[in-house]
Amino acid sequence: MLKTIKKFLGLLGLGACCLMLAPSGAAAHGEKALEPFIRMRTIQWYDVQWSREKLNVNDELVITGKFHVAEDWPRGVPKPDATYLNVSSPGPVFIRTERYLNGQSSVSSAALKLGGDYDFKIVLKARLPGRYHLHPFFNLHDAGAVMGPGHWFEVAGDPATFTNQVKTLNGDMIDMESYGLANGVAWHAFWIALGSAWLLWWVRRPLFLPRYKMLQLGQENALITPLDRKIAVLMLAGVPLFVFGAQAMTDRQYPNAIPLQAGMDQIEPLPAAVNGLVKLKVQRAEFNVPARSLTIVAQIHNASDQPLQIGEFATANVRFLNPGVGPSREGDKDTLIAPQGMSLDSADPIQPGETRTVRITATDSLWQRERLDGLIRDADSRLGGLLFLYDANGQRHIASVSTAIIPTFN
Amino acid sequence: MTSTDLEIAQPYTGEKARLSRAYDYLILVLALFLFIGAFHLHVALTVGDWDFWVDWKDRQWWPLVTPLMMITFPAAVQAVLWTHFRLPLGATLCIACLLIGTWIARFFAYHLWNYFPINEVLPATMLPSALVLDAILMLSDSVTVTSIFGGMAFALLFYPSNWPIFAMFHVPVEYGGAQLTVADLFGFEYIRAGTPEYLRLIERGTLRTYGQVATPLSAFCSGLLCTLMYPAWWFIGKAFATTRFVQKI
Ligand SMILES: [Cu+2]
Repeated sequence: MLKTIKKFLGLLGLGACCLMLAPSGAAAHGEKALEPFIRMRTIQWYDVQWSREKLNVNDELVITGKFHVAEDWPRGVPKPDATYLNVSSPGPVFIRTERYLNGQSSVSSAALKLGGDYDFKIVLKARLPGRYHLHPFFNLHDAGAVMGPGHWFEVAGDPATFTNQVKTLNGDMIDMESYGLANGVAWHAFWIALGSAWLLWWVRRPLFLPRYKMLQLGQENALITPLDRKIAVLMLAGVPLFVFGAQAMTDRQYPNAIPLQAGMDQIEPLPAAVNGLVKLKVQRAEFNVPARSLTIVAQIHNASDQPLQIGEFATANVRFLNPGVGPSREGDKDTLIAPQGMSLDSADPIQPGETRTVRITATDSLWQRERLDGLIRDADSRLGGLLFLYDANGQRHIASVSTAIIPTFN
Repeated sequence: MTSTDLEIAQPYTGEKARLSRAYDYLILVLALFLFIGAFHLHVALTVGDWDFWVDWKDRQWWPLVTPLMMITFPAAVQAVLWTHFRLPLGATLCIACLLIGTWIARFFAYHLWNYFPINEVLPATMLPSALVLDAILMLSDSVTVTSIFGGMAFALLFYPSNWPIFAMFHVPVEYGGAQLTVADLFGFEYIRAGTPEYLRLIERGTLRTYGQVATPLSAFCSGLLCTLMYPAWWFIGKAFATTRFVQKI
């Protein structure tokens, strides 16, 4: 008996642990979780912006940005045939009310084209007060989550004032926060009451030891009374009858119910924004491990009609800036910027029609902090990123960089 | 039935009866926690997402996989409680425990800790199926009959029992230029970073060919599989209902 109790108590502990099972992926960000080559060579984010930082419950937050889908997509990563533009947040502290890819409204998953250029807009509505770090990110089927840049937001106000009214095709306004809850709870309560009645019907009698003993003595017929049988027959006929009746009534109540929608959105890439008038060919790329410095020797051809200067190299949301070139970054709170991170062998602009071999160096501890230096130990030690060039009028040209990388350990 | 009817059949009286009743309660309470934990874990790990999210409860996969995974523990517990005690409540007990665990998890883990509205994570019920399964076992006193008719009924009753709860989430909404159900809209609006839309295993596979009649077909497939699953777990239950290991401790 004592042993039985001990055994049961052990199982009880196990059961209690199981109850702690919680839904996954709520708080963790996983910005640096994926291997560097996946973060650098799949979705290349840029120009990500936020409409505001401080909000009240029910206020709108608009996240906009662009991304280039690397043409040098890693071989070990499944192609982006099913992707979902998501927002990392600790649960639905915001709701997503609208999402656009290339100006096209999109509520489902979509396929992306390698080498394609896209812009996006996500409209969120604050639901719960708090301070949250949000990132736009892409869920890539079978590959993982490729994070965009993150930002802190503060939501104030009373969560009770949050509203989310939606109009159905029948013209009814419904409150998403409570729709169907009372009905669902009522049905559960009804069946739980019936189930409990059946359980109590049996449990009120002496149970295990006496019943076991009577079974051993061959007196099992006394264990099930004629009334028990009557009730069981009633249940056997009544429950299905009731279930199918309720189903038929529900069908009549919701004649326009449709199946869950499982379509994919078709999104065409924008006209090329990357690799337009500037062509880039890498000749050699070295990563100096102790100096945390990348050196790229590349041949750049300027097919535009203006002299161009190299202003920025961006990879995996880390941005190495060439000070003095391109738009001012003053007041930019992006923590992944290395404001002095880029240097060139020559500050002379690349003239229209000129093809020049340039030596670009991107140096910063961000290589290590963002765990991108692990690249040299990856099975696919290639690097990808975007190079931004500017003319004197601030017109921007973007070229994609993709290259094998050679480490130097000094 | 009066209480005297019950007493006639009792082998124990007086202090013995009182002690054996105390033992009943002990076992019942322990069984309650055991099933709440273990069965809930089993369901969460096997058909978790279908049961968690309103926008996973489709016409094909949900009625196919849910009964199949939920007939397991009921069959095993029925094997013990019916074979040794002639108690026809194994299925109802298991499913009731599962629902207790599920509701606790939905309310605390999903709603309070992760902020999902409860209506988005309403669980399905299998209690009607379980009641019928218990009744069939009790009236037939046969594993074969219960496997065939009980297994079939268990699966066939699943979708219609839950339709009154979930039909209203299938009302169409025009949203973002597309037709969505209210359920799909939950998936879009209430951000789930870990489970993107494309992971939903819904409305896919060969059953699609049958279009509108996909649900009955799916339920029937599930019923056939349940008739196999039921005896398999009956024997698992039987194998575990032994004192062999306890005596060795
Ligand atoms: Cu973050």
